Amino acid sequence: MTVSERRGRRVEFNAIGKSFPSDSGCVEVLQGVNLSVAAGEFVCVIGHSGCGKSTLLNTLSGFETPSTGSVLVEGEPVEGPGPDRMVVFQNYALLPWKTALENVVLGLRSIRRGEPRELLVSEAKAMLETVGLGDALDCHPGELSGGMRQRVAIARAMAMKPPVLILDEPFGALDPITKEELQEELLTLWRQQRCTVLMITHDIDEALFLSDRVVMLTNGPSASIGEILSIPFDRPRDRDSLLHDQRYGELRNRALEFLYERQGG
Amino acid sequence: MTNSLVRQIKPPLICTAAILLLWQLLCSGTHSDFPGPIQVISQTWNPYIAKPFYDDGGTAKGLGWQILISLQRVAVGYSLAAVVGISCGLALGLNRFIRRGFDPVIQVLRTVPPLAWLPISLLLFQQADAAAIFVIFITAIWPIVINTAMGIREIPQDYRNVARVLRLRKRSFLWDIVVPSTAPYVFTGLRIAIGLAWLAIVAAEMLKADGGIGFFIWDAYNAGGDSSTSQILLAILYVGVVGLLLDRLVAWVGDRVSGPQR
Amino acid sequence: MASFLQLDSVEQNFTRADGTVLEALSTINLEISKGEFVSLVGHSGCGKSTLLNILAGLNQPSRGGVILEGRQVTEPGPERMVVFQNYSLLPWRSVRQNVALALREVKRELSASERAERTEAALAMVNLDKVAERMPGQLSGGMRQRVAIARALALEPKLLLLDEPFGALDALTRGHLQEQLMQLCQKAGITTVMVTHDVDEALLLSDRVVLLTNGPKAHIGRIVAVPFERPRCRKAVLQHPDYYKLRNELLEFLHDQRRLSNRKPAPPKPAAELQAAAASSPSPKPIRLGYLPGLDAAPLLVARQKQLFEKQGLRVELLRCQSWEEIDDLLRIERLDGAALSAAQPLTMATGAMASTPLPMVVTQTLSRNGNALVLGTQLSISSSEGLLLHLRQGLPLKLGVPDRLSMAELLLRHWLARQGVDPAQVSWQRRSPMGLLAALEGGLIDGFAAGKLRACLAQHRRSGRVVLTDSAIWPNHAEKVLALRESWVDAHSNQANSAAVGLTAAVLEAAAFCDQTSHRQELLQVLTEPQAFGPQLLAPLQEGLAESNLAKDLNQATSLLRFNRFFLGQASYPDPAEGLWVLTQLARWGMAPWPNHRQELLERVYGRRLFLEACDRLGMIDQEPTQRRYQLAEGEYFDLDEPLSYATNLPFSTLSPCLP
Repeated sequence: MTVSERRGRRVEFNAIGKSFPSDSGCVEVLQGVNLSVAAGEFVCVIGHSGCGKSTLLNTLSGFETPSTGSVLVEGEPVEGPGPDRMVVFQNYALLPWKTALENVVLGLRSIRRGEPRELLVSEAKAMLETVGLGDALDCHPGELSGGMRQRVAIARAMAMKPPVLILDEPFGALDPITKEELQEELLTLWRQQRCTVLMITHDIDEALFLSDRVVMLTNGPSASIGEILSIPFDRPRDRDSLLHDQRYGELRNRALEFLYERQGG
Repeated sequence: MTNSLVRQIKPPLICTAAILLLWQLLCSGTHSDFPGPIQVISQTWNPYIAKPFYDDGGTAKGLGWQILISLQRVAVGYSLAAVVGISCGLALGLNRFIRRGFDPVIQVLRTVPPLAWLPISLLLFQQADAAAIFVIFITAIWPIVINTAMGIREIPQDYRNVARVLRLRKRSFLWDIVVPSTAPYVFTGLRIAIGLAWLAIVAAEMLKADGGIGFFIWDAYNAGGDSSTSQILLAILYVGVVGLLLDRLVAWVGDRVSGPQR
Repeated sequence: MASFLQLDSVEQNFTRADGTVLEALSTINLEISKGEFVSLVGHSGCGKSTLLNILAGLNQPSRGGVILEGRQVTEPGPERMVVFQNYSLLPWRSVRQNVALALREVKRELSASERAERTEAALAMVNLDKVAERMPGQLSGGMRQRVAIARALALEPKLLLLDEPFGALDALTRGHLQEQLMQLCQKAGITTVMVTHDVDEALLLSDRVVLLTNGPKAHIGRIVAVPFERPRCRKAVLQHPDYYKLRNELLEFLHDQRRLSNRKPAPPKPAAELQAAAASSPSPKPIRLGYLPGLDAAPLLVARQKQLFEKQGLRVELLRCQSWEEIDDLLRIERLDGAALSAAQPLTMATGAMASTPLPMVVTQTLSRNGNALVLGTQLSISSSEGLLLHLRQGLPLKLGVPDRLSMAELLLRHWLARQGVDPAQVSWQRRSPMGLLAALEGGLIDGFAAGKLRACLAQHRRSGRVVLTDSAIWPNHAEKVLALRESWVDAHSNQANSAAVGLTAAVLEAAAFCDQTSHRQELLQVLTEPQAFGPQLLAPLQEGLAESNLAKDLNQATSLLRFNRFFLGQASYPDPAEGLWVLTQLARWGMAPWPNHRQELLERVYGRRLFLEACDRLGMIDQEPTQRRYQLAEGEYFDLDEPLSYATNLPFSTLSPCLP
C-alpha cells in the first residue's frame, strides 16, 4: 500500500498526565505516558479496571484534555472530538428511533455534506452487508441483539473511513461466540481500510488475536505504561493455528504475569 | 461545607424570588382585585399567620387547628387503607389466581377521582366525617395494594433459592426475606398514597365537612370578604407545605424500615 | 459400583409461553466421586445452570434423576449448598448476621455459643472477620462472594455447587478468588461442582472438566481429566507442559460447538492448496482420529500406547467421542481427519445416502471383523433366536435400538430377518448413540439392541439383557469397523515422500497384528481399561468378552464360534471393495440410497487399496490380499461379485423392482 492509500495516521502520546479534582484533593490518573503508534497499526491497551485506559484514549478522542503533555495525530495536536477519530463504545450509542441503515447514514451525512443521499445510502448499505446485516437494514436497534447492535456501531464508524479508530471495550458485553465473530469481522474491515486502531480490552486472548502490539498499563493511580508486547504472528490470523503456536502460550503467560503478579495486590 | 450549601440554595432562591416578583407585578395594577404576595401577607397576618391556633368556637378556628382536623381524618382513613391495602397486596402478590382475577376491578376503580366517591360514601355513611374518611380510604388504598403486590413478586429468585437451599423456617423466611425485600415497594405505595390522601381530604372537605382546611378554603370563598382571596392563597400554601412534609415523613420512615437494599 | 454423586439419564424440557416444548438437556449421565472437583463448561445458554439447579434440587428433571450417596435428590437442602453469581447475601443483614442466619437455620442442634464460634471461624477463613459488622452493600463484589463461600462451607455440606460464582467480577478479583476457592476446597476436601464459561478457571480448579454441547438438547460432549498435581498454584499450573494443550482442547471443543451452531459448511479447498499448507506449516498439526469406545477401537489404542504412530514419524491424537453423530459433525468441520467407522459408513457418507450431504472418505484398512450381537431385554423373556422369530411372526411389536449411523449390525440383522421370512419393516428401529443403548434398554425405551460385544457383555453383566443372536450366525468374518480418513486430508498428505496416510495405515496395521495374538490378550486388556481409554470399571465385562466362547454358553448351541473380533489374521485388515459392494446392494435393497451409476469408480475411490498395500510394503508384510470372488455369508448363501444388482433385487423384501436395468 502506498503512503497515499494508507488511511491510517500516526498517533503520538507525549508525556501525557491527567488529574481530576475530587473531594479529597487531586487524583492523578495518568502520569508520564509516552506512546507512539505507527500509521495503520493495531494496538490494544490492556490493564485492570479503573487503571486509566479509558482516560488515556479519551485524550486521543478529544473528550478529555490532558493536564500535561500533548496528543498528536500526524504531528497536529488534538483539539476536541472529531470524525477523524471515530469512537465505538461498549454500549453501542445508537439512536433507538432510527433504523440501522439510518444510523449509519446519519454518520456519513455529518462528514460528507452536500453529497447526494443515494450515494451515502448505497455506501451505508454496502458497509452493513459487509458486517453481515444485509437483512437487518430496516430494523431498529431495539429489534436487534447485542452483537448485531455492536455490528451496526462498527459499521457506522468504519463507513466514515476514519484515519483513527478508537474502541472502548467494544465486545465486553457480548457472549463468547458473538465476541469471536465480531473480532474476526473487525479484522476484515480493518484489513480493507488499514486505519490506525487503538482498542481497550481486558481480555488478553482478544488482544493477542487482534493486535500488532499490546500496551499494558500499570495499576492506578498515576498509571503509566508498564510493558509493551510485540505480537509476531502473521496476518491474516487463524485462530486455530494461533492456539497451537508455542509463542502464543509464552506471550499469554507474560501478560498474565504482568497483570497478576506485578500489579495484583 | 457552606460553599456547597450556598450553591444548592442559590437557584431555587432566585427562581422563587422571580416568581414572587412576577406575581407582584401582575397584580400591581389598580384595576386588579387579585392580591399580590405583599397584600396576601398583610391581609392575613392577623389573625391567620400570627395566631394559627386561635379558637373562636365552632368552625372559626386558626389554620393550625383546621389543618389538625384534616390530618386527623387523614390519619384514620390512611391507616385503614394501609392495613387493608397491605393485606390485599400480599394476597394478590402470592396467589396468581387472585391477582389475575381482581386485576380488572382494581384497574378500573383506581382511576376514579376521589370526589366521585363522595356521593356514594355519603349515602352509605350518612355522616360527613365518616364519608370523608371513606373517600380517603378508597383513594389511598390502590397504590398500596398494587405496589405491595409488585413487591412480593419482585423478590429476586436467588433469595428464594437461598431460602429453599437453607430450608428456612416459615418465620425466618418471612422476617428475613419477605419483609425486608418487600418493604421498599410497600413504602413507595404508602408515599403515593399519602399524597393522594391529602389531596382527597382537601377536596372532600370543600364539598361537605365541618372544619378542616378544605372547609376553610370553601368557607372563605363563600364569605367573599375583602381578604378572602388572600386567605385562600395562604391556605393553599399551607396545604402544599403540609403535603410535602407528609410525603417526606413517610419517605423517612420507609428508609429507616427498609435499610440497605443492594 | 455406586458413586458418590450420580446423574442418571437426566433430561429437562421446558414448555414455552406459546406451548412449544424446548428440550434443554438431553440424557445426561455423569458420575462424580467423593472429594472431586468437577467443572461444567459450555457456551452461555447451553443449560449448565439448569443442570446445576437440577443437582441442587431446585428444579426437577423431566426424566431421570440425581442420586447422592444412594438417595435420590428431590428438593433443595443445605447438604447441597449453592453459591449463586448474584444476590447470595441478604443486603439488609450484616455480614455476620448473614452467616449466623444460615447456621441458625441449618445447624439447629448446635448451641448458640457453638454457632457463634463457627460464624467467627468461617469469616476468619476468608479473612473477612474485620468487616463482620458491615452491610453487604458496603463490601466489594469479591468480598461478598467470599462471604457467600465461607457461609456455604460453614454449613459442612456434602456437595458444594457454584453457579459462575466469579462471573460478575473483574479479572483481577476473579484471579484472587479462584486461588482462594482452590485452597479452601483442597483443605475441606469437599465434593464440588462448578459452572463456568472460563476455561482457565476450570483448568486451575478442577479434577475433571465436563464439556457440554450447545443447546437445545445439550448433552455431555466430552470429559477432560486435568492431571495437575495437588496442591496447585497458578504459576506452576500455567507453566505445566500440558497446560496449553489441555486449554486448546477445551477451546477447540467450544469453537466446534460454535461452528456447529452456525452450520456454515466449510468451503472445499483445492488439493494443491491443502498440500502447500500442509507442507509449509511450521509446527504441523497432529492428525486427529475419532473413535467410539468399543473393542474394535483396540488397534488405535494399542498404536497410541506402543507409540507406533511416533515410529512412523507422525503425531496422532485420538479423540473419544460420544456418538456417531458427533464423529460425523467433527469430520465435516474438519476437526477430525479420520475415524474408526462402521464398515457401512464410508459409503453412506460418500454417496450422501440417508439424507445427508456427501462427504468423501477413504478407507485405509479394515479395523476389525465380527463382534456384534443382538441383545434382548430380560423382561421380554425371549431367550433364543427362534423365540424372537416366533414373537415377530405373531405380529407382536418390537423396538430395537441400533447405532445412530448405519452400522453393519443393523444391515446384518435386517438381512437375517428377511432370510427368515420376516419383513424388517415390522421392527421399529430406533437410532441412538451406541453409548446410550444400554441405558435405553434399562429405561424401558427399547426392547433390545444390536451393538458391539462390549455393550452386549455389559448388558449380560448387569443382567438387563441376554444375547439371542450373534453375527457369526449371519456372516462370519464380515468387516465390522474400518479406519477411514477424509478424502481431502488424504489428498493433502499423499504427495509427500514420506506419505502420512501410508504411515498412519502402517502404524494401525502393526497394532492390529499385536492385538490378534492370544499371548497379548492380557496386555490388551490393560491398554483398554486405562483411564484415557475405557476406564477400569470395564475390566470385568471385557475379560468375559475377550474369552472366545463365552457368549455361546448361554445359547446352548453346538456351533463353536470362530474367532470373535478378528483384527489382523487371515487377511482381515484388507480394505475389500467387494465388501463395500455388498453394502451398496444393501443400501439399494432397503431403499436407503439409489443404486450408483459408476459403482466401480466409487468403490475404487472409497477403498484405498493402494495405500494399504504400500503400508504393508513398509512393514514388510506380505500376502495380505484375499483372492476370492465369491463370498459366503451364512450356510449356503453366496454373494456374487459379478452380478450385484440382480443379487440385490432378488433378495427377500427388496425394494428394488426386478425390471431395473
